[in-house]
Amino acid sequence: MNDPILTYVTFLPLLGVLFILAIPQKSETGKNVIRGVALSASIFTFLASLRIYGAFDGSITGFQLVEDHTWIGSYGIHYKLGIDGLSLWLVLLTTFLAPLTILSTWRAIDKHVKEFQVSLLVLETAMIGTFVAIDLFLFYVFWELMLIPMYLIIGVWGGERRIYAAVKFFLYTAVGSLLMLVSIIGLVYFHNDHAGQITFDLLQLYGTPMPRTYEILFFAAFALAFAIKVPMFPLHTWLPDAHVEAPTAGSVILAGILLKMGTYGFFRFAMPLFPHGSDYFAPLIITLSVIGIIYGALVAMVQPDIKKLVAYSSVSHLGYCMLGLYVLTRQGVEGSVLQMINHGISTGALFLLVGIIYERRHTRLIKEYGGIARIVPVYSTIFLIVTLSSIGFPTTNGFIGEFLILLGAFKVNKLAAVLAATGVILGAVYMLWMVQRVFYGKVTNSSNLNLRDLNLREMAYMIPLLVLIFWIGLFPNFFLNKMHTSVDHFISQVKVEQVKDKSHVAAADTISLTAAFASLAKEYKE
Amino acid sequence: MNQINLSFDIYHLWEVCGGQLILIAAGLVLIFADMLLLDKDDETRGQCLGWLTVFIFAATLGHIVYRQWDLHDIVFMNVFSADKFSIFISVIMVFSGLLASLMSIGYLRNNQLLRGEYYILLVYAVAGAIGLVQSVDLLMMFITLEIMSLAVYALVAFIKDSPFSQEGALKYFLLGSFGSALFLFGVALLYGLTGTVNITMIAQSLSIGMYQKLPVILAFAMILCGFFFKMAMVPFHMWTPDAYEGAPSVVTGFMATAVKAAAFGVFIKVLFVTFTPILSSSGQPDYASTINLSALNPYWQPVLWWVALLSMFFGNLLAATQTNIKRLLAYSSIAHAGYMAVGVLAANEEGRTGVLFYLFVYTLMNIGAFGVIYLLDGVERNAQSLEDYRGIGYRYPSLAFALSLFLVAMAGLPPTAGFIAKFYVFSAAIKEGYYLLVALGVLTSVIGAYYYLKVIYMMYMKEEVRQVVRGAVAAPTIVALLVAALGVLYLGVLPEPLASIAHVAQQSLAMIF
Repeated sequence: MNDPILTYVTFLPLLGVLFILAIPQKSETGKNVIRGVALSASIFTFLASLRIYGAFDGSITGFQLVEDHTWIGSYGIHYKLGIDGLSLWLVLLTTFLAPLTILSTWRAIDKHVKEFQVSLLVLETAMIGTFVAIDLFLFYVFWELMLIPMYLIIGVWGGERRIYAAVKFFLYTAVGSLLMLVSIIGLVYFHNDHAGQITFDLLQLYGTPMPRTYEILFFAAFALAFAIKVPMFPLHTWLPDAHVEAPTAGSVILAGILLKMGTYGFFRFAMPLFPHGSDYFAPLIITLSVIGIIYGALVAMVQPDIKKLVAYSSVSHLGYCMLGLYVLTRQGVEGSVLQMINHGISTGALFLLVGIIYERRHTRLIKEYGGIARIVPVYSTIFLIVTLSSIGFPTTNGFIGEFLILLGAFKVNKLAAVLAATGVILGAVYMLWMVQRVFYGKVTNSSNLNLRDLNLREMAYMIPLLVLIFWIGLFPNFFLNKMHTSVDHFISQVKVEQVKDKSHVAAADTISLTAAFASLAKEYKE
Repeated sequence: MNQINLSFDIYHLWEVCGGQLILIAAGLVLIFADMLLLDKDDETRGQCLGWLTVFIFAATLGHIVYRQWDLHDIVFMNVFSADKFSIFISVIMVFSGLLASLMSIGYLRNNQLLRGEYYILLVYAVAGAIGLVQSVDLLMMFITLEIMSLAVYALVAFIKDSPFSQEGALKYFLLGSFGSALFLFGVALLYGLTGTVNITMIAQSLSIGMYQKLPVILAFAMILCGFFFKMAMVPFHMWTPDAYEGAPSVVTGFMATAVKAAAFGVFIKVLFVTFTPILSSSGQPDYASTINLSALNPYWQPVLWWVALLSMFFGNLLAATQTNIKRLLAYSSIAHAGYMAVGVLAANEEGRTGVLFYLFVYTLMNIGAFGVIYLLDGVERNAQSLEDYRGIGYRYPSLAFALSLFLVAMAGLPPTAGFIAKFYVFSAAIKEGYYLLVALGVLTSVIGAYYYLKVIYMMYMKEEVRQVVRGAVAAPTIVALLVAALGVLYLGVLPEPLASIAHVAQQSLAMIF
């Protein structure tokens, strides 16, 4: 295909940045123009990304719409983009959420509007780039490019403890991703030893033979980077801080898209590149996912702050995604992919709703509200629908995702499935309890009496989300159809032949890992 | 081995040492120009001398790039060589001098520091530095090292009324002399053992089985220590923070880049010509077949492993605790020396290419950062603490953006050239199996990211407490900052052209003989 459509979609937001930089923001009109330009840039990006959907053929295995140009020739680094059944949906999710986010910040961000919109658009480019890059170096560049804009969004426009949260977010992510870079380079040189060619092309690096120990070590480094992003228990501690301190737009992007990069990274890179390493760590990851599901739900239950509650619910929801990936059945993986999108929609919507009420009352504490359903009926209805979607109520999107994951998990690992299913119940408990305390009963706080209901702008960005919630809930096949081949391909890449005697392998692994550390120690001695 | 040609030939001299000769002659011209302009007011004199220096550096740069690059490794009287490696380093240093002199025009005016000798010292420092990397003779190396160092000591002490400047210069001078003495002692030992001071002839003498004798190792160690002083690596770094803090900001930028480039250049040259000669595919030294090529590796590699690790670790850790931006960047420059040493340690083509690339990029980002620092310094030269940077992002958006860009590049984040440079040196080391060192190195660079970000959040996320009035922004400074900023971005997106030049340059190391 000659039309470099993925490049267009990736860099369209940056084009908007160029325009924005030229607009002065002294006056109120200037600010509005900046917002308008940012909004239209992101809408154009969304429209352009619909063309990707049109051009994508769900029956083909492998990457489509591939663009490939040499970038740094001596290291075999290419500017290579392509999408498959997973990244298609994540790109669409990104381009879909971006305009809604910008619309939501229309009034909320009044300080340094220009800088904010520039950060947001640069972030959008980086996010799309991360999902479409299929050259490891290019992927890493986009991955790191996200850090600075997100750091600024949290740190400049965030709440009270914003700097602490921003620095914590940055350092957590940087530690993981730098070790991943070391592994990427190591992998490339192993491929070089084997094939005599230095390349960062993902397709060529799949299936690189290497000693089992290195596969385990490299997987560990990749997994650390992605697990921090997901975030998996016990690496999740940056998430509540970042979410609570970030402005609404930051939280929506963070929950809606950034967290998906962790699971996406497992799906695209960590697991298929190092199937044996993945197999070695599978029990640990499944255990941590289940712990994350239950732990996230339990902690969410006792949060006094609505936003923090939603943040912890993310830990729980992402646990499902990881569990779904790791059961390695078609239902599990498809459920996981769908759950990534669901979580982006419903948690994104929840953060937007929390943002709306925070704008009016400047508090997010549950005890400050109560009985407001009568005062703001439209808001309450929408909140309830989104809540139901979040707890996986049938006919909403959440149900399909969680059901598929549990179905897949049940075939493989009954214990994990049963434990994870309790997370569904706990989820219903903390969400509905919160809804009950906030919306129903008597109006306890008189300052809530004059609460305004949603205005037109707010409706404009909530309604598309509601449509999607029911669309996925009622017609999941529209989305699943495009995934089947990619997911099957993924499973075939990752599945390793099951060895009969597991204990034998475990002993061998211990020995070879010891040997690896001994060799590292030797490097140190030399 | 070629016949040694000891006859003096003026044309040959010009061909090999053109860059140095231009600078030395220009230094004399500057002295006269300074005298002729004595009756003019400071403003005119500063402009004239400054632009004259800029012109001199531009001419030298042009000469080196266009006339000397294509020379094929000729040697003048067994003392200087014109090989692509030296020329690449020379370009970095002249470029650093060019940017520094552009900024100095504004700096000296803002700070009322104009005295003619400033530019003369700058020109001679670069002349000495070029001589240093062109030398193939240990004695000439010492002489040129001293020419360069003395000029830089004087530049550090240039703010006469500042005790910090005097203190920094004195520390730099004393410890620098110590380093030079160690180097000289090592040279004397080698001369006693081999009867020559020429680096290739020493390699030949040593190749006849003397490699692992104790005096050789001792001499080797002393020479290495002498270089570590100049490269500002742990544990020979004690002078760095004081000298960097006390020196005029533009001079700090200059000495952090040009002097470091010269020291790294000559370090790599001595290491890979004399002690661990490398083989090239085309021109092999004829003693290469008899030499035990890696006999000394077990001696220097562990040392450099530790020195690199300690530099990265302590440089970053101490920088994180600093409250003065110049001291912070001083410690960070120690850390950067550590990263570059990782590339040297890899001892392969990629590693040396990476170091050359790194030096070039480091020049851009460091001089750029110090350029912004001098502008933000204010008229009273006292706005250097991080607290003074609060809220600057909204008072002076373009300057703050430029500084952020340079700091992000130093932190090694894409899409800046700093990321590519780190990628080159680290991937070279991974190729040789230094997983542990690289893993520890990238973890220390997270500490690095922390303090670079600290500056950025001071600028953008804190309300200002005291209004810092920046000095006047001179046009030439803007030009220099633009060049540096665009260079950092350009090389971050398209590093290949420069990297391939660096690759060719380091290949010529195998052909110096």
